[in-house]
Amino acid sequence: MAPPSGNPTTLSEADRAYLASLAPQAASPYHALNPLTKAAIATIATLAAFVLGGYVAPLAILTVLVIPGAVAAGVLTRLTRVAVLISVPISISVALVSVFTRAGATVLFTVGPFDATAEGVDFAGQIIVRLFVTAMALGLFGLTTEPRAFVVDLERRGLSPRVAFAAAATLETIPLMVERALAIQAAQRARGLDTEGSLAARIGGVMPLVGPVILSSLTEVEERSLALEVRAFGRPGRRDQLWTLADDGRQRLLRWALLVGFILVLVGRVAGALPALP
Amino acid sequence: MIHCEGLVHVYPGGTRALDGVDLEIRAGERVAIIGQNGSGKSTLILHWNGLLRPTAGQVVIDGRAAEGQRVAHLARTVGIAFQDPDRQIFAGRLRTEVAFGARNVGLRGAALQRAVDETLDVVGLRGEADANPYDLGYSRRKLLALASILAMGTPVVVLDEPTTGQDAAGVARIQAIVRSLTEVGRTVVTVSHDMRFVAETFERVVVMGAGRVLLDGSPAEAFGEPAWPSLAATNLEAPLAAQLGVRWGLGPTPTEAGLVAALAGAPRARPADRAGTFGSSDPR
Amino acid sequence: MLELDAVSYRYPGYARQVLADVSLAIGSGEIVGLVGRNESGKSTLCLVASGLAPVSVGGVLAGEVRIDGTATAGLRPFELASRVGLVFQNPNTQRSGVTATVFEEVALGPVNLGLPVAETVERTHWALRTLRIEALADRDPARLSGGQAQLVAIASILAMRPPHLVLDEPTAQLDPEGTRLVGEALQALAGTGAALLVAEHKTDLLDRLCSRVVALDGGRVAMDGPAAIVLADPALEQLGVERPARHRIAGEVAAAGLVLPGAIA
Repeated sequence: MAPPSGNPTTLSEADRAYLASLAPQAASPYHALNPLTKAAIATIATLAAFVLGGYVAPLAILTVLVIPGAVAAGVLTRLTRVAVLISVPISISVALVSVFTRAGATVLFTVGPFDATAEGVDFAGQIIVRLFVTAMALGLFGLTTEPRAFVVDLERRGLSPRVAFAAAATLETIPLMVERALAIQAAQRARGLDTEGSLAARIGGVMPLVGPVILSSLTEVEERSLALEVRAFGRPGRRDQLWTLADDGRQRLLRWALLVGFILVLVGRVAGALPALP
Repeated sequence: MIHCEGLVHVYPGGTRALDGVDLEIRAGERVAIIGQNGSGKSTLILHWNGLLRPTAGQVVIDGRAAEGQRVAHLARTVGIAFQDPDRQIFAGRLRTEVAFGARNVGLRGAALQRAVDETLDVVGLRGEADANPYDLGYSRRKLLALASILAMGTPVVVLDEPTTGQDAAGVARIQAIVRSLTEVGRTVVTVSHDMRFVAETFERVVVMGAGRVLLDGSPAEAFGEPAWPSLAATNLEAPLAAQLGVRWGLGPTPTEAGLVAALAGAPRARPADRAGTFGSSDPR
Repeated sequence: MLELDAVSYRYPGYARQVLADVSLAIGSGEIVGLVGRNESGKSTLCLVASGLAPVSVGGVLAGEVRIDGTATAGLRPFELASRVGLVFQNPNTQRSGVTATVFEEVALGPVNLGLPVAETVERTHWALRTLRIEALADRDPARLSGGQAQLVAIASILAMRPPHLVLDEPTAQLDPEGTRLVGEALQALAGTGAALLVAEHKTDLLDRLCSRVVALDGGRVAMDGPAAIVLADPALEQLGVERPARHRIAGEVAAAGLVLPGAIA
């Protein structure tokens, strides 16, 4: 019962194994990549797609940097679905705006006062391709990385614990709020609120809960921040994390290569040494 | 009023919270369900308004199978005041919060107004009717949550750990509310860790352990010496008055008033109230 | 040693004094019980005694709060955290919300203190073991019952091994077994020389645990003395506090003009 008095300096094998089991479990070799590596792939793929433009370059980037990872992670179908869902609404609005407003010599057809030009179609097409590549690249990161893993890893690399914590808390707040909304909704059903009938009844039943859930979450934030203060969360300085995520020389090399490659492309484009691909 | 037969509930993830519960609660009874954390008490009561559905077995409420009935419909018969008031309260004013359930069961106009005022009065919050629930402390938010269930006027009222965080006056108030509810024929069921509150306020005690009913009887039976092994099986102990009655050879004395009466050699008195009662105002 | 010296306090934006002229000293190894009706100032006293009010909460404090001789006024929140632990009333708002398992949740405090991993792990095991919740180690802290969450909240503070500890109704959600375990853990902590302040409605628990009991009424100290004397005093009932069962029964028996046939406790 008495508190431990010594200052143990070594971990037992069992403890070491236990702590390792606390780290998010990797579902595939791609999941197992360090979060920073996955973040670098997503970021560079997105930036390069925008800098290079056209159709061929973004699709090449997609084929080389994103699809192999998605296949390795076993999420290609899901990722494509998510990326389409995200990029379609934006694409439609982009297409509508640019097809009809882009000035150009080749008028394809006319709707009222608006001319649809071939240049507009081309411009919209290029934007849509870039958006899709972006959605695929960021989506792959999101589907293969747990937020807390990314945050813990950034903290190990020197990100301020306060910033890291705020980031993690924000990412984890959404599921908590959803859960709270469900609990309050259950309590209101227990007070005779009918949410099992028509769609209208369901929507009507949920609406009154939106405000209170946000409000009570805000009240909670104050209490929660006090409770964090007493757990020394504001202490500056390093922390030894319970688990860390593997990183290795090959991944570091890959990240540097991506960065250097991107800079070369950027400089080449700006200097005009790199011809624009179709 | 409430009939459970072979009730089994397995949560996603495999926890077998209820493992075959048979229980019959008759109209107008005051029943306390006790047992350690995780013995299945809260899981059981959530089956009575359909928030949980049985994995096996059946629940009959007021003569009709709960299966196939909506929660909103069952809620007209069984009102449950949850343990954590913050998972229930949502309105910006006490008055609105209390009116919500009453309106859902069909009260309107003056009748609604009366139900709201009376129940706020009963829990001692009438003066705060226009305050924001979050300006109240935890114990008073808990009384507010209770009021908002009482205002619905359901034939069955279920109170999950009603005395948590209450001071002596708050416990006495809840005790008085429970008594007055059964005086007008409503059925009251509580889930509680407060053995003295249970012994003094309820006429029937159901002891649960590991998802089953271990014991079912009067407080004298549930807290009498023969029941002690069953209580110990779910890490409970009879109230001190019951223990002393056995030690002093006075027979079953679950309440302190009963203990003193037995000691005086007088016939055991009806359990004394910890405070006065309030008028039997049926919020309906 | 935890000391409050003529402390008055009001919350930011309120004119009302929630605590008025409270003086209190809790020595090393001492467990002091804090009783009083709801909204008599118990929770506020817990915030003030731990230094959180006014350091983090704001408000106006008159008088002085000292921890081992150091005034809390000049300390920063994380410096307070390593001197005095505070367990709040509501276990749900004490959860960090950033951990996936109970083990990590309990370890969060020691990690924040900058301890080596081996020590964090040992303290976490110890805190879980002390409250007999090792079986919860792998559970999601957001999906626990009220009683389990309360034990995890207490373990989260125990793991920081604060020299002193303030607890605001630590057993409110607990069953009798959980209440007993918390009592034992607090006794063990006092045995290591900690000063403990425990606000509780369960006077039976305080009867077993405390050397001294303080009763608040309207933000003032109404009674302060040895637990055996304060808890036996019928005047406690006027302050809205139930005496422990053994004192109540002894009082009722005497009031009926009868004699106790034997010892009560």
